[in-house]
Amino acid sequence: MKYFKLIRRNLFRNRMRALMTLALMASIFFFVATLISIVELFGRFEDQGQGANRVIVQSAISLANSLPYSYEEKLRQVPGVEDVCKLQWIGAYYKEKNNFFANFAVDVDHMQSVFDDYKIDPKEFEAFKNDRQGCVVGTELLDRFKWKVGDRITLKRTIFPYDAELTIRGVYRHPVNTSALYYHMDYHNESIPPRMQNNVNTFWLKIKDPSKMAPISQQIDAMFKNSEYPTETVTEKQFQAGFMAMMGNIKLLFGSICTCAVFMVILLAAITMSMSARERVTEIAVLKAIGFERRLVMTLMLTEFTLLTLVGGAIGVFGAKLAYLILPMAKMTQGFLVGFTIFPTTMLISLAASLLVGLIAGGWPALNATRMSVVDGLRRVV
Amino acid sequence: MALVEIKDVTKVYKRDSFQVPVLNGITIDVAEGDFLALMGPSGSGKTTLLNLIAGIDRPTSGQIVVDGKEISHFSETALASWRSRHIGFIFQMYNLIPVLNASENVELPLLLTKLNKRERREHVETALRIVGLADRMKHYPRQLSGGQEQRVAIARAIVTDPSILVADEPTGDLDAKNAADTLDLLQRLNEEFKKTIVMVTHDPKAAGHARRVVHLEKGLIIDGAYGEAAAHA
Repeated sequence: MKYFKLIRRNLFRNRMRALMTLALMASIFFFVATLISIVELFGRFEDQGQGANRVIVQSAISLANSLPYSYEEKLRQVPGVEDVCKLQWIGAYYKEKNNFFANFAVDVDHMQSVFDDYKIDPKEFEAFKNDRQGCVVGTELLDRFKWKVGDRITLKRTIFPYDAELTIRGVYRHPVNTSALYYHMDYHNESIPPRMQNNVNTFWLKIKDPSKMAPISQQIDAMFKNSEYPTETVTEKQFQAGFMAMMGNIKLLFGSICTCAVFMVILLAAITMSMSARERVTEIAVLKAIGFERRLVMTLMLTEFTLLTLVGGAIGVFGAKLAYLILPMAKMTQGFLVGFTIFPTTMLISLAASLLVGLIAGGWPALNATRMSVVDGLRRVV
Repeated sequence: MALVEIKDVTKVYKRDSFQVPVLNGITIDVAEGDFLALMGPSGSGKTTLLNLIAGIDRPTSGQIVVDGKEISHFSETALASWRSRHIGFIFQMYNLIPVLNASENVELPLLLTKLNKRERREHVETALRIVGLADRMKHYPRQLSGGQEQRVAIARAIVTDPSILVADEPTGDLDAKNAADTLDLLQRLNEEFKKTIVMVTHDPKAAGHARRVVHLEKGLIIDGAYGEAAAHA
């Protein structure tokens, strides 16, 4: 602690340079924390099915292709299948195309049994069940459009040729998926042309024993292999991962950008720190002459450099955390980033990276400055 | 008894592929309480000799014994620790840390000791009082004159109560008045506080304050005089 004053004074000896370095670190780590959080958000989306005892039966051709309703009974016959729920992606929007969010038609009779991790007030669920044009929405979606239970809303058509006229009957709670809307499969089926009716793009199966999910999936696919509509059965995690993969390798892209940003900031910080160390060669020599050991001088300089990058990084990371608490990201990204925040793990990773930037960028200049002999250091001026 | 014993010391610097001999077998003693001035033309080796006595450089050959200890074989760490206890440095350009005020600059060597904050403050106040700058404790180097800066540097040199003060051209950057004041101060430290001082200077007037003047030329001692002879060096 007795050296803290020396460190603090040296930190701001060139106030403009220190502030510019802080600003640089803050802006880069604001950006890095944002990108890492987006990747983490997608990872959470992928992981939402992890541990759940559900498999999804979809068309082997593509997710856009449908499977006939008649498969439902066949699937129920498969040993180990506890329940089956039809789920259809609708892809409609609210009022304007910008107001996009996930919306599905669901088999209400089997919804609670298969999706038992979605919590709905029993009275609200009963009201939803009894209203063919009723729907339930996630908490975040409710907040996003300032809806309330009882509101009548219209979902505009995209894939299917009808506008869904719905009444919000309830709100569901879920640890990850909080921004979707579910309405009656029957209402959907009645609203589409006869040629499209009685088809659905996914069956969600609840499996009694999660360890049997793989053999059951294989059995199902084998069962429909030579049919008109072959299937591909996947676990929920695989399904979400496949869904994410449709957007391309976001993780690799964002990871590469983050690495480039951190590399860039290391170079910039190294230049700044080299300047700072070079300016102080004589002072370092004086410190060593009066008895400061090389290791102590090195520690003082590295503490100073890492403090600068860590504080800058922290400003960026906590600034991002605060910004995303205030900014309506779901609305701004048209539903792309729902539930977006700077996650605690992202904060830790970013702060560790900013510390590392200080150590790498400051290490070499500090080593060089302290390695110089006292005599050579003093000769610079004397 | 000799506080510093230099025995047949040579120093050769390597500059690229060249070897530059700076000291060519110097033998000299510095008695405890002495005030020695090292004089000579540029390149004569006086600063190199001062650096060797101060333990910030090592001889190519020969022995340097200070207070009974052969310091030329100390490790870098041991030498740093030894310097912090035995040597006080006074530089031509003062070399104060610009971001620290006078008292903080003087306190620097004390940070290496086990003294607590209160004890360190007492030592700093005493040192600054001795150099006559007790009223400038909170002033930064940029707020002080050259003479005042050098006095702060002297306070920093004496604050740990070292046995030897080494001064490299301590008046080289000062006007006549401040140079005289600085030399008076050094003389007082030698006479009143019994500090052993080794000073490098070009200035015969400065050397006149020393008890003994040693002339170097081409890395060799050409003469060393005490008392009156020193006064007329």
